[in-house]
Amino acid sequence: MPLPLGYAVLVLTAVKALRLDATSQRPWWLLGAVPALVFLVGVGRVLFARRPSWLGSIALDQFHGFHDRVTSALTFSQVPAEERTPLMQAAIEDGAALGGRLDPRRAVPIAIPRELGVTLALVLGLGVLSQLEVRRVLPLPAPPAFEPMVMSQDDIDLFRDVAKDLQAKNDDPNALVAVRRFNQLVEDIAEHRLDRHEVFQRMGDLERDLKGNLELDRDARDEGLKGLARELEKSGLTKPAAAALDEKRLADAEKALRELAEKLKKKEGRPSAAELDKLRQALEKASRSNEERAKSIDQRRRELEEERKSLLKKKVDKPDAGATPDLDKKLADNERRLEHLDREKDRAARSQKQMSELDKQLAQAARDLLRDAGQSAEDLEQGAQDINRMAKQEASEEQKQELLKKLQEMRELMRQQGKGGKDQRERMQRFGQRARGQSSAGQGKPGEGQGEGQQGGKKNGPLRMGSGPGSVPIDIPVPVSQSGQGQGKPSGEKPGGSDPGSGQNYGTGHDSNLTGDATDLKGKTTDVTAAGADTGQGAAASQVIYGAAERGFVGRGYKQVFTDYQTVAERALSQDEIPSGYRFYVRRYFQLIRPRE
Amino acid sequence: MTEAEQAREEVAEFQKRIGALREEIGRVIVGNREVIDGVLSCMLGSSHALLEGVPGLGKTMLVRTLAGVLGLDFSRIQFTPDLMPADIIGTVVLDEGAGGARSLEFRRGPVFANIVLADEINRATPKTQSALLEAMQEHRVTVGRSTHTIGEPYFVLATQNPLEMEGTYPLPEAQLDRFFYKLSVPFPTRDELHAIIDRTTTTQHNEVKRVVTREQILQMQALVRRVPVARHVQDYAIRVLQATHPTGEEAPELVKRFVRTGASPRGAQAMLLGAKVRALFDGRFAASIDDVKATALSALRHRVLLSFEGEAEGVSPDTVISEILKKLPGSKE
Repeated sequence: MPLPLGYAVLVLTAVKALRLDATSQRPWWLLGAVPALVFLVGVGRVLFARRPSWLGSIALDQFHGFHDRVTSALTFSQVPAEERTPLMQAAIEDGAALGGRLDPRRAVPIAIPRELGVTLALVLGLGVLSQLEVRRVLPLPAPPAFEPMVMSQDDIDLFRDVAKDLQAKNDDPNALVAVRRFNQLVEDIAEHRLDRHEVFQRMGDLERDLKGNLELDRDARDEGLKGLARELEKSGLTKPAAAALDEKRLADAEKALRELAEKLKKKEGRPSAAELDKLRQALEKASRSNEERAKSIDQRRRELEEERKSLLKKKVDKPDAGATPDLDKKLADNERRLEHLDREKDRAARSQKQMSELDKQLAQAARDLLRDAGQSAEDLEQGAQDINRMAKQEASEEQKQELLKKLQEMRELMRQQGKGGKDQRERMQRFGQRARGQSSAGQGKPGEGQGEGQQGGKKNGPLRMGSGPGSVPIDIPVPVSQSGQGQGKPSGEKPGGSDPGSGQNYGTGHDSNLTGDATDLKGKTTDVTAAGADTGQGAAASQVIYGAAERGFVGRGYKQVFTDYQTVAERALSQDEIPSGYRFYVRRYFQLIRPRE
Repeated sequence: MTEAEQAREEVAEFQKRIGALREEIGRVIVGNREVIDGVLSCMLGSSHALLEGVPGLGKTMLVRTLAGVLGLDFSRIQFTPDLMPADIIGTVVLDEGAGGARSLEFRRGPVFANIVLADEINRATPKTQSALLEAMQEHRVTVGRSTHTIGEPYFVLATQNPLEMEGTYPLPEAQLDRFFYKLSVPFPTRDELHAIIDRTTTTQHNEVKRVVTREQILQMQALVRRVPVARHVQDYAIRVLQATHPTGEEAPELVKRFVRTGASPRGAQAMLLGAKVRALFDGRFAASIDDVKATALSALRHRVLLSFEGEAEGVSPDTVISEILKKLPGSKE
């Protein structure tokens, strides 16, 4: 738009200059210089701008629907004749044949500049505008509507409980920070402070920070511990510690090392010289196991590098020897092995870093064993402390994994809820209330329908919960006794009447036509009290579940039954191969029916 | 006859054979022209195809018909959750000869055929799915210390149910990348349904006959590789590929927001090979930008991985790729 802009500036300058009477002080050429400069810059830009090759032919192809046949032909025609393939030649001939059908005038018409109309309008508009001075207050455009992420109260309570639980179980500062961030996220969602985008972004950030190198570090540490275990196993004295390290029972390993340290400190029952020598060797080798592994990887890597160089040289020396496919295969194989070694090297470096303190302590213990067994025992105790540190670290990692799992569940939940929209949220809201044993909208009274059933005296229909206004009733089939509930009005109360009555219950009056005494209802009865044996086991699981449908997911009995079922389900989820889609639904089901406070 | 004339004849012959293939397949399969062309493109591009659609849309029937018209060795593997890798690639058994001498012998699995139908591939566990990886990429199978080569042409056609369906395991990303195209099988139109009902509920029985030989298929595959691609067409395919990456220079806003990882270079290879096949289908001698655009969806939809937000918002890879094609002009201005 340099041209219209130039004209516009010219008009504006001229008008203002005239109005301010500037022409008497400044020369007129200044007025023309600005637009001329703008014009020249515009022309220069057009002249020197980089244009892609074949822009014209592509436009022709597009206009005629030639599928780039002209452009391809032009491109191939630039390839030297001896390098052209028969298909290229055919494509060139094909493109050339289309020459007569091309219509560049219609394909790329030289139109009147689009800016011309705009320019004139701008010049006129500015001319008019510059004569006016109108002040107006322009309202700022309204910010985009904020749509907060909405989660049902029941789910918010669930994630609050999760955060509380994780916070109570954790004492690692890093993990605690992550739990607090998770908690803050839940609170922000509860307070409707975040929109969907922000929620996902914060969850993504938290997940990324939590994941970090968690799995890599854990694998590297496991490998390092296994390496140590292999060496420590060679001495009878460190065998228990080795077995514990191999099976990742870090607490047992720590205990075994402390016991060994105690044994070394005692003067009586101290191990023999031969045993001590074996121990020293095992400790020394164990302390070097990680380092040696790294060295061995380096050595193998160097050999592979050499092999690669030699293969590359062979390839350059004998390009036409006919062995190129074989060489290529070898080179590819070499490259694969190098990549594998690089990954192994990375793991070894991580392992070395994590085990460095323990390695140092074991090396020191081996050295001190030559001079003073008591000093060596102290080194071993230091080593045990380091194992304790690793155990704590592992526990903290498990907590992080747990939090990650919860984050994933939360994410999946939001995804599912996002699909359901407002209706789904409302359904969840009602469900949460019922789960707590409350009526759905807080207005209906539980048991209103119950009275109705009893009055009839012969109803065996469903029990209606929460039939108040605004609530949605739930039908629960409850058998209602038929006998003894009717008031008995239709029968018996009119003594001697001709109408025998149609009531369902016994009458209490007396028929005057009868001469005998009324039946003596007072039989000779004996009171018997029966009591069941109290086993303390409470109601059967089926009764508890049935009761939960009426009262909500509350109570100690329900908690017990829920825990039993959930344990079985979790075991199946962790041991069996179950598609991830199913896993989510099973876990979600148990989340929804969890016991409420 | 000049070389160019010879090339013209080759292209004309190619078109004739494709026409015969389409006609013969059309005797059994109703409609689905794009899917049939997609499957043929994969075969002629010497690669593999993944067909996705709900059960009952004729995916398996299409592959069986294709095997019939090509007259190649065909085997079908029904993937189930308990299928093991050895069930696919084969296993080593102890064989007792006539003289009582015992030797270990490799019994080839169903993967050793020219056309392999991996039916409902996402019903099996990832471990079993991965067993196909080497066969698909290298056209060979390694068992123990020995390597067994699979005969050419080799073409794996896998069918899968949509991932939202229960009881399915998503294919590993590495394996998805091995598929040249992912083709979505659409639900038939009313007219097509009439034709399907007529063919399947009456005595009408359509047998297919072989229309091309193994050697002819190999020749067609070789011709596809020889089709030249002009620089600007290749450049366009690369720009489309780069735009699928959130960090790409020309990536549209939709990609930056909803895509986790863009397509691998195999995506560009698939687009260009597919474009070459398409050019030959039309009897042209070189691939065009329109051909690249036409192949982009099938070649990239399984290679673009959405971010969690993208999945949550229900954005599909097809939407993302269509947006890229819409935003990316044919020639860079």
